[in-house]
Amino acid sequence: MRSIILLLLFGIIASWLPAQEGTLLIKNGTVLTVTNGTLENTDVLVADGKIRRIGKSLSAPAGTLTIDATGQFVMPGIIDAHSHLALDGVNEATNPVTAEVWVGDALDPLDVGIYRALAGGVTASHAMHGSANAIGGQCETIKHRYGVYNPNELRMEGAPRTIKFALGENPMRVHGEGRNIMPRTRMGVEQVFRNAFSEAKVYMAAQEKYEQERRSNANAVPPKYDRRMETLADILRGDIIIHCHSYRADEIAMLMEVCKDFGVDRLCFQHVNEGFKVAPELADFGAGASVFADWWAYKFEVYYSTAYNAAILSKNGVVTSINSDDSELIRHLYHEAAKTQRYGGLSDDEALALITINPAKQLGIAERTGSLEVGKDADIAIFSAHPLSVYAIPQKTIVDGVIRFDIENDPDDMRLDVNPAEDVPAVYLHTEEIDNCMEGVFEQLFMGEK
Amino acid sequence: MKSIIKNIGISLLALLMSHQLLAQQVSKASTGTFALTNATIETVTNGTVKGTLIISDGKIADIGGNLPIPSGATEIDCAGLTIYPGLIDGGTRLGLAEVGSVSLTEDFNEIGDATPQMQALTAVNPNSVAIPVTRVNGVTTVITKPSGGVMPGTASLIHLLGYTPKQMYGDFQAVVINYPSSGRRGRFDRRSDEDIKKAEEKALKKLNDVFDEAYLYHRIDSAAAGKAEMMPDYNPALAALLPVVRKEIPVMVEVNAAKDIQSALRWVEEKDLNVIFTGVAEGWRVADEIAAAKIPVITGPVLSLPTRQSDRYNRAYTNAAALHKAGVKVALRTDDAENVRNLPFNAGFAAAYGMGKEEALKAVTIVPAEIFGLDDQIGSLEKGKIANLFVTDGDPFEPKTQIKHLFISGYNIPLDSRHIRLYNEFLDREPGLSK
Amino acid sequence: MKKSRLIGGLLLLCFLPFLSYAQDDQEIAPVTRTFVLKNATIITQPGQMIENGQILIKNGLIEAVGKSVSVPSNAKVIDVDSMYIYPGFIEGLSRTGVPRPKDEERREIKDPGNPPNDAAGIQPERSVVDLLSADDSSIESMRKLGFTAAHVVPHGNMLPGQGAIILLGGSSPEEMVLASNTSLFSQLEGARRVYPATTMAVMSKWRELYQQAKQAQQHEKNYKNNPRGMTRPSYDGTLEAFYPVLDQELPVFFTAESVKDAYRVLALQEELGFPLVLAGLKQGFYMTDELKAKGFPLLLSLDIPESKEEKKKEEGEEEDKEKAKPDPEKEALKKRQKEAIAKHQSQAATLSEAGLTFGFSTLEVKSGDVKNNLMTMIEKGISEEKVLASLTTIPAKMLGMSDMLGTLEKGKIANLVITDKPYFSKESNVRYVFVDGAPFEYEAKKPKKKGDASAKVSAAGEWSYTINIPGQAMSGTFKIKQDGDGQISGTITSPDDGSEGELQEVVLSGNNLSFSFPYDAGGQAMKVSFDVIIDGDEVEGTVTAGSFGTFDVEGERIGVPD
Repeated sequence: MRSIILLLLFGIIASWLPAQEGTLLIKNGTVLTVTNGTLENTDVLVADGKIRRIGKSLSAPAGTLTIDATGQFVMPGIIDAHSHLALDGVNEATNPVTAEVWVGDALDPLDVGIYRALAGGVTASHAMHGSANAIGGQCETIKHRYGVYNPNELRMEGAPRTIKFALGENPMRVHGEGRNIMPRTRMGVEQVFRNAFSEAKVYMAAQEKYEQERRSNANAVPPKYDRRMETLADILRGDIIIHCHSYRADEIAMLMEVCKDFGVDRLCFQHVNEGFKVAPELADFGAGASVFADWWAYKFEVYYSTAYNAAILSKNGVVTSINSDDSELIRHLYHEAAKTQRYGGLSDDEALALITINPAKQLGIAERTGSLEVGKDADIAIFSAHPLSVYAIPQKTIVDGVIRFDIENDPDDMRLDVNPAEDVPAVYLHTEEIDNCMEGVFEQLFMGEK
Repeated sequence: MKSIIKNIGISLLALLMSHQLLAQQVSKASTGTFALTNATIETVTNGTVKGTLIISDGKIADIGGNLPIPSGATEIDCAGLTIYPGLIDGGTRLGLAEVGSVSLTEDFNEIGDATPQMQALTAVNPNSVAIPVTRVNGVTTVITKPSGGVMPGTASLIHLLGYTPKQMYGDFQAVVINYPSSGRRGRFDRRSDEDIKKAEEKALKKLNDVFDEAYLYHRIDSAAAGKAEMMPDYNPALAALLPVVRKEIPVMVEVNAAKDIQSALRWVEEKDLNVIFTGVAEGWRVADEIAAAKIPVITGPVLSLPTRQSDRYNRAYTNAAALHKAGVKVALRTDDAENVRNLPFNAGFAAAYGMGKEEALKAVTIVPAEIFGLDDQIGSLEKGKIANLFVTDGDPFEPKTQIKHLFISGYNIPLDSRHIRLYNEFLDREPGLSK
Repeated sequence: MKKSRLIGGLLLLCFLPFLSYAQDDQEIAPVTRTFVLKNATIITQPGQMIENGQILIKNGLIEAVGKSVSVPSNAKVIDVDSMYIYPGFIEGLSRTGVPRPKDEERREIKDPGNPPNDAAGIQPERSVVDLLSADDSSIESMRKLGFTAAHVVPHGNMLPGQGAIILLGGSSPEEMVLASNTSLFSQLEGARRVYPATTMAVMSKWRELYQQAKQAQQHEKNYKNNPRGMTRPSYDGTLEAFYPVLDQELPVFFTAESVKDAYRVLALQEELGFPLVLAGLKQGFYMTDELKAKGFPLLLSLDIPESKEEKKKEEGEEEDKEKAKPDPEKEALKKRQKEAIAKHQSQAATLSEAGLTFGFSTLEVKSGDVKNNLMTMIEKGISEEKVLASLTTIPAKMLGMSDMLGTLEKGKIANLVITDKPYFSKESNVRYVFVDGAPFEYEAKKPKKKGDASAKVSAAGEWSYTINIPGQAMSGTFKIKQDGDGQISGTITSPDDGSEGELQEVVLSGNNLSFSFPYDAGGQAMKVSFDVIIDGDEVEGTVTAGSFGTFDVEGERIGVPD
């Protein structure tokens, strides 16, 4: 009798213990690995935040959280190569070159937009500086660990450094038109890059000279520490991947020439609406292209665009991704990828690659994410139907083996921090598209003016 | 000798073609009698029919299982394909907006708060690049409407084929009212709650003042019975409201926040007008009240964010379904210009999030047709209706489905747009990499 | 426009120029600097009490504390029978005595990417001492609450300057300053329209300045040792201001209200290694473990949100109407808001529970709210003793002033607070404050007139009012009109030219009359709100003038409606 009570007690205590964080078993789903085809009726075992096994009839230690994915589709967590989620401030729009600033210093883990992205199967995103400056700030690749309060816990540790560049209308408008400071033309944009890189080379040479002199002279004076130059030098050394806001074919070609001249080869173009016109050149350079599925005509430099951009780029051998740049669009990147099946007839795997392994490659994190493979991070999205179907509904989204979105169990109100002074949350209405890349610019440029 | 002639012929042809390509916007549409045979025909109003659909004189001449093909008809074999009625978008800026950031190409927002006399139809550019881009996705008919201010103007229904606005016009107009809003225009809108309230009150006063004047104008105009000296003074804004107060045309009332919807319901009850609500983003909060008032709704875009930070992430996706479930007549819109082509995908999301495919299809075909009083002309595949239709190899809401044929007003429209042309030119670019 | 100017003039009159000479009027030269306080309950420091004790104050210092002290013949004896004496409170971080700079005409900066340091908000070499004003009204506002010393810092953005410790008494900045250049003050505040405008640029600039300062310091050192053949270091006051920080001698007081900012500052500190005091915390409850692990000195913000229940009372009617239809969404939102308010109010209790100690920052808090907020914190679970320590011994230690401030002990500066009831009780009044041995006497407040939502009173008529602004009184009149169907409106009259301004938001709820009017304080738009209780022909209540603070007001009906 006593032992039965004890057993019962044990049972209760065992069920109280939280399941091991980062460990779970997904049973019996259609597994879209993206890199190794589609596996029917397959299990995925996750332990300590990593994918440990993919196969049939896998078992897990007793007490492991098990998700029945029968009739559902299991795919790699979606990666957005261009977003401005989770940021307090996007543009330091005060100078045409602000390489030293870093959005990683202004991460906002409380942004409910992170949760909404998770509800669209997105597990990682590239939080980018805006496009006000020809050389903007450094960006940060984040994992959507919604629920943490420490901004640093959003960072994807070990992800390569990236930086935002911008061509065309935005830097021309902010600095040239807005302040009468170069660049006002695409000619000027090129010179901003050449000047910056050339100055960085001078800085590097001065540093080198100092390092040499120091060996024989303890009193050698170093060049004045300059974070802008330090960052530019890191680009020239190949330590930072350039992600460049771009639209027109000519400016895309220009930046590739500049990079060639300065020996920079880690380059990915963002938006790149006219990338299709220079697809062979992009492929030849080895530059990535991260595009919208179908956005166009919102400004003159995207008037001669086509929704077939991703298909043309892919078929020409360019590593291509589809991004959101927008807190709404990021919620249905799987649908955006599906549009390439209408506009260019991409296969399922080609289309899925646009939002998984390809953006992972562009961000330099393909070793760890972007496909369902043993040993990779357990970033997984589970859908009710094939994710390229318009009827697919995300069910659960898992980041590092932790369920961060669960359609069944999550409450409606998922805010992490409630403003004590706000009686009723403000109502935000749908607006015509705004240029998210220019967020914050207006205030810095024209605050207090008409 | 023969080969030379052939060569000359080819180069001449090439020359002609390239010249034509430069001058042309898209390939030319053709007219006549068409027989779409062996098709699955989704009539929307009368179930699914297997067989033939005949188009003649711009109309659907017949639909049936085994119809004889009229002599002279062009036969299009639709084996394995499905015919759908052309999709209708209940709210766009199509034809009024060309390049977003270039304000001189944007024709939807005139100066002035109350300008119902502004006719959207006047400014519709039949040659807008976005029009062919839109129709090749099966959208054949849209409302194009002005915006901004309290009463930005008069919206029109247009079919997406024609070389003059008149040619495109589809027999429906409505005056647009932006009901005073307590909401914020996106996250850059940092006005204080007080400022918002003030702006709202001011706008409501303006709206009421204009309507008071409009009713007076109507009384004087009616009493004058055409006598010039008794006519009201020249006032184009009030003249434009005459058909509204006489209930000859409806008002499209743009209203979104729950509180504003309730306020608008009280307002329209006082006014005795033909009313269509548009936007209605927070309709799910007050769906029963809208249903009780029997006011039809055009909502969208479905693909948008919830209105409040505290809202469930999918509120915008499920809004149409919630309204429909409460008994509201719901049509969909994109509220877009260049991406009105996403209407079928918006419908797909509404379908997935509770509306179901059948109702979602109705929400972009027969329901808007009914709301506009045009259900005898458009919105379904029925004998005698305008031949607005498209033929697909699958579910029209699924992105991977391809559109195979397109008819608007009985014209067979080649599936051509600038986007497609750029694809054809650049998929295998010549010259490629070499100089 | 005309209206706002007239009312603006009226208020400017009352806030700015009067203060200086108004005080001179009142002051009588003191006869002696020796005082004996008798028969009080003396809380010599948190947790230690002498009942029926005495204190001897001489030449600004505490000469003796005990059951009985010898009374010199030149002493002025103050009978504080049944009163309570506490060590004078210390503001851990504030701008008391530092007037807000006037909004400068916007400077035309040609290259916003390379602005001069002062426009960029980078002025670490600046000392707050040069910005002090002995007759700033904020000094009296804080003093009458019991604050006798403050660590004050300049207004500004990223690096506004160096702090000083001042006494909240004295007729000149020189008299007030106890210690200068005691801290480097910093905030994650961008400059307006110029670099660095955003948090991320401020963070970057911080790192750059810090590293440059290191280089410059080394260069100077090397040059001093052996200048021959070495490039001469150029003078840079901005970088030089960092040297004591680099030497771990000068703490950086870094404000971080939100949990996000707090983590950012912690990350920056970890990277650079400067001595840090984390200040102005409002959301420390989200990160108790990290705060404990890091162990930096903390200053919690005294600005906490008000509970909703108290506020809602007046809107009771409207609520009843809505109660007819239960709204689960609204209920859920209210619940979350309530939880959020409680969390903020409980920050001190939560951190204290976790074993953390802290002082208080009074930046951003209205002086009128300070005591209420302290009481709320205590209600939420922190002990009175710990709150007292946070106001006295802890900040004294944090600021390196334990030998001078924080307790009532022989030899310390004679800063003390005397109340008629225990300080942390609703009914207590501060009756005396001693700063540097000089007494300030205060009247006990009359019991406040009570609001009564069901009372039926008429507000109509002309009313005179007197606003009690520290050091002076400001009088005027307003008129209220009430018509048959409950419509209520009014005007306020300028005392100098008699012109009238329209009142807004005029509401009479029970016997509670409130109204407001806009006012343009030198380019800064603000709202002045009256909130008074009508009792017969008398009114009494408060006036809130934007961020200037809340003041008592009283008045009477001088004319009935015609």
